[in-house]
Amino acid sequence: MSVVKVGVTGAAGQIGYSILPMICSGQMLGADTKIDLALLDIPQCEDALRGVAMEISDSAFPLLNSLKYGSDPREILRDLDVIIFLGGFPRKAGMERKELLQRNMNIFKEQGAALNEVGKPTTLCLVVANPANTNCLVLSHHAPNIPKKNFTAMTRLDHNRASFQIANKVGALTIDVKNVAIWGNHSSTQYPDVNHGTVRGGAIRPAVNDDEWLNGEFISCVQKRGAAIIAARKLSSAMSAAKAAVDHVRDWFLGTKEGEWVSMGVISDGSYGIDAGLCYSFPCTCVNKEWHIVQGLDINEFSRDKMNLTKQELTEERDEAFSA
Amino acid sequence: MFKVLSRAFSQQLKDPVRVVVTGGSGQIAYSLLFRIASGSLLGENQPVILQIYDLPHMQAALRGVVMELLDGAFPLVHEIVASDLPETIYANADYAFLVGAKPRGPGMERGDLLKQNGEIFVKVGQALDKYANKNVKVLAVGNPVNTNALIAMSNAPSIPKENFTAMTRLDHNRALCQLGTYLNAKVTDIGNIAVWGNHSPTMFPDLSYVTLNGDKIRGKIDNTWYEKEFIPVVQQRGTAIIAARKASSAASAASAAVDHVRDWAIGSNGNWVSMAVPSDLYNGEYGVPPGLIFSYPVVCVNGAYQLVKGLKLDEFQQNKIKVTVNELLKEKEAVADLIRK
Repeated sequence: MSVVKVGVTGAAGQIGYSILPMICSGQMLGADTKIDLALLDIPQCEDALRGVAMEISDSAFPLLNSLKYGSDPREILRDLDVIIFLGGFPRKAGMERKELLQRNMNIFKEQGAALNEVGKPTTLCLVVANPANTNCLVLSHHAPNIPKKNFTAMTRLDHNRASFQIANKVGALTIDVKNVAIWGNHSSTQYPDVNHGTVRGGAIRPAVNDDEWLNGEFISCVQKRGAAIIAARKLSSAMSAAKAAVDHVRDWFLGTKEGEWVSMGVISDGSYGIDAGLCYSFPCTCVNKEWHIVQGLDINEFSRDKMNLTKQELTEERDEAFSA
Repeated sequence: MFKVLSRAFSQQLKDPVRVVVTGGSGQIAYSLLFRIASGSLLGENQPVILQIYDLPHMQAALRGVVMELLDGAFPLVHEIVASDLPETIYANADYAFLVGAKPRGPGMERGDLLKQNGEIFVKVGQALDKYANKNVKVLAVGNPVNTNALIAMSNAPSIPKENFTAMTRLDHNRALCQLGTYLNAKVTDIGNIAVWGNHSPTMFPDLSYVTLNGDKIRGKIDNTWYEKEFIPVVQQRGTAIIAARKASSAASAASAAVDHVRDWAIGSNGNWVSMAVPSDLYNGEYGVPPGLIFSYPVVCVNGAYQLVKGLKLDEFQQNKIKVTVNELLKEKEAVADLIRK
């Protein structure tokens, strides 16, 4: 059995609590892969982190090979194969976006520097903490020893949500919806695109047969799903976010299925007119632990406008983050 | 009540089974539902229909949980039903995780806790009796588990007694973890732990038969560590988790629930596991009187559990077992009017 070293930052938080049992029970890397688990959180969360480590140990997972936890990134992020960055600065009521960007930039600058010192050059990184795309850029910028292609941001939750909305509309199972694409920022400017997707093997648009819904309510529903969950649960969508992170890493690590793609925030190479160097969500296939942007998709005017809008937002975020 | 229906299109899978989870908007269910949805319970070829119960005033929160399950894009979840109607939730159930229970409030005596939960589990038993499949496998998770399971069982006379169990797998897993640390061994190399009795402070985690890589190692375990450290640590682990997390041990409880039902359904591979099951099945074996739900070491095979027989109990073990038997008898007495003859 192989052993993979997996790190999780912000592990004492809500998404951490949801994701750790998923990782340790084989959902992420399969039933034949043991996990060396490393958990990081800030000193203020020391007790909570210890508590979650105790529970993971108490779960007696056969696949858990070892467990370490602490607040020193240079110790915890050392020599890992996969790192999921859940830890970030949460948006407080009344906080300006500029301040949110600034505070997160500080966190990801520090962790990037630590990673640069102690990380493997093959470490795969998934940034979940918001603003995910820009945090991912900052992290990568401060860890130049690790190739840019190893840094991704999560839009898989939006991808899964979009797939469900289509499935729900036509009365299908979510997994019968393939190849939706999330373009851009994991924010309210994200663009869920169904023009290249299928449901039960047939194109989505004709199957749904409601362009007004697809171009309007569908998009805003996916964009606002997080808020809808908070309104219902009075808590944010930790489990589904954790599941999406597990999906993202699994597909990246083990490869996407033939004929299927997934949505990942990656550092652009200029594809589809998206400036190289921006962290932008694209449809991607994965093989041999590498992602490849799906090329050659037809982009109509409606899509182009949406894609530009989210590109604009990301450009502004990047400029703000790196201007300080 | 709301229902989300889907039909499988492209999968070569078995027919779905119906899995009930009560207390659906709570902490344990939040962890549990996502593990079940992922295939942790019955494997990756077994689709599930989730039938999730909560009280009327929790349906809005439950709706949020269902939204998240749907957003989870789980290949194995073929249908989700969420309701406060027993006839809907228990209909044709194949598995039932009874997580919902009344928690202990401030000033509440254990007797009150027993009675109030007892009333809940009378109704649960009746609903299972009326609506569920006769071969439904039931696991009580909500405390006080043993007595809750007993009450449900006695109010479901058309369902075989052996289908009613209560969870001591969390204690078993906690014992494994503590022993693993002590021996510096992997939990997968440790065998033959036995948890006896009530899921309560009188629970007895017994290392008398424990093996490491197949070899008996009780002789290598320091008696003082065993009695003064190991047993209290396992018994009080829940409290220690609450102290650290400021919240109770939902994730590990959910994981234990999955382990319990999974091993019951698909086998424990020859390994001993701990399950609280009807003592009626075992004719006074190990000094446990009939009429209780009592945790024993068992091995699971072919969808059933089998008592590990023929174990010799020394005085230490017998005393520990007596204490937990007596506690269960007292609990039963406190809810005697809820136990259908």
